Amino acid sequence: MLPFSIALRPGEPVVDQVVYAVTWAVVSGQLRAGDRFPSVRALSQELKVNPNTAQRIVALLVEAGLLAVEPGIGTVVTAHQPGAGASTAAARRADLTELRNRLAEPLVVEARRIGVSLADLVEMVRAQWKSLDAAPRAAPRGAEPRE
Amino acid sequence: MDHAIETDRLTCRYGRTRAVDELTLHAPAGSIYALLGPNGAGKTTTLKTLLNLRSPASGTARVLGVDSRALGPADLARIGYVSENQHIPSNLTIGEIEAFCRPWYPTWDAALANELRERFGLDPRARIKALSRGTRLKVQCLLALAPRPRLLILDEPFSGLDPVVRDDLTTGVLSLADRDGWSVLLTSHEMDDVERLADHVGFLAGGRLIVEEPMESLLARFRRVEVAMPDGAAVPTQRPANWLGFSVDGRAARFVESQASADAEAAWRAAFPGATIAAHPMSLRDVFVALTRSMAPLASGAAR
Repeated sequence: MLPFSIALRPGEPVVDQVVYAVTWAVVSGQLRAGDRFPSVRALSQELKVNPNTAQRIVALLVEAGLLAVEPGIGTVVTAHQPGAGASTAAARRADLTELRNRLAEPLVVEARRIGVSLADLVEMVRAQWKSLDAAPRAAPRGAEPRE
Repeated sequence: MDHAIETDRLTCRYGRTRAVDELTLHAPAGSIYALLGPNGAGKTTTLKTLLNLRSPASGTARVLGVDSRALGPADLARIGYVSENQHIPSNLTIGEIEAFCRPWYPTWDAALANELRERFGLDPRARIKALSRGTRLKVQCLLALAPRPRLLILDEPFSGLDPVVRDDLTTGVLSLADRDGWSVLLTSHEMDDVERLADHVGFLAGGRLIVEEPMESLLARFRRVEVAMPDGAAVPTQRPANWLGFSVDGRAARFVESQASADAEAAWRAAFPGATIAAHPMSLRDVFVALTRSMAPLASGAAR
């Protein structure tokens, strides 16, 4: 059983989907510092994905500062410091640019297309922000909790 | 040995028909390689030739570094094979057939056999002839996996099985994965399963290999493109060969870009001035359909 919620959708890179689901679980508190993270082998078998894919997922999450490999224990969730993945000022700037261009811009474009006001959009973002603090047992968008 | 399987201009005939036509294929060691293609593309013939169940008319195949025509019992003991058409003695029980197979494999892992039998919910006293198709495939899988083969060849392992059985079989296959140099070659039409499992894809049509490359780069270069043209805009008459299945409906144009890149996007914009263009990633299933419908020659970066 996996300690985070995910339902894989075909047509989107598996790695991106799992990295997002784990990030969601950490940011929302579903996964906490010190929690054991499944081994590559367990991840591969649970998700029915290629072992090399599972390996890449863990490597990316370690690189992002969300997981750490503890010798003799395995992979564990780190004491997540927001922004920990960006070790330098340049990496931090790159993360912010990514947030603005890839995520914020399409959000604004879509809001204007369907006629949502700036105030309503800001309120939506605020509610989403709070829901992560309030509901560590909820599931990310598109994911059914797994048995 | 860099490749678990490599063929060089492999050709197989049934009478005058070339079922496999100068096939040159490379399955890297350690990969899960999916050989895809429409029915009658030559997939099963290829697999049978790799296992020396058929002889090639010309060309060669090397499996785990050995010429397919020279594969002996010791080599075949390192290869697991599951096919729907495989014959297993129907009068035996599951326990009896395990006991029959075990002495042929020096590497038979009894603990793994127990684990798989439990996971698959198999009763050792059940007779093969009383089993459903799905359960019979589970038995075949157990027999193929218990020797911990270095190469697993699966011919349509999932066809016509319910999702629970498919999940069980997949987990069984992946349970072998902690061994170095372990490789899988499989054919399947269950594209969603394949998309998650395989890291390399070969696409066969008419006995020829049209595409061979890593899953990731294949999915990265295919995009479903939707164009909303401005009023009165002309539809381009000259279209690049990498646009597949081009169609127009009123002011909307659609096609599949098979070589997505920044240059390709620039080409879309040049072809449709003033249009709104959206490009969507595609599932392996959609890529398969697009490739099958358009047998236009496709240059693949990874194909050799």
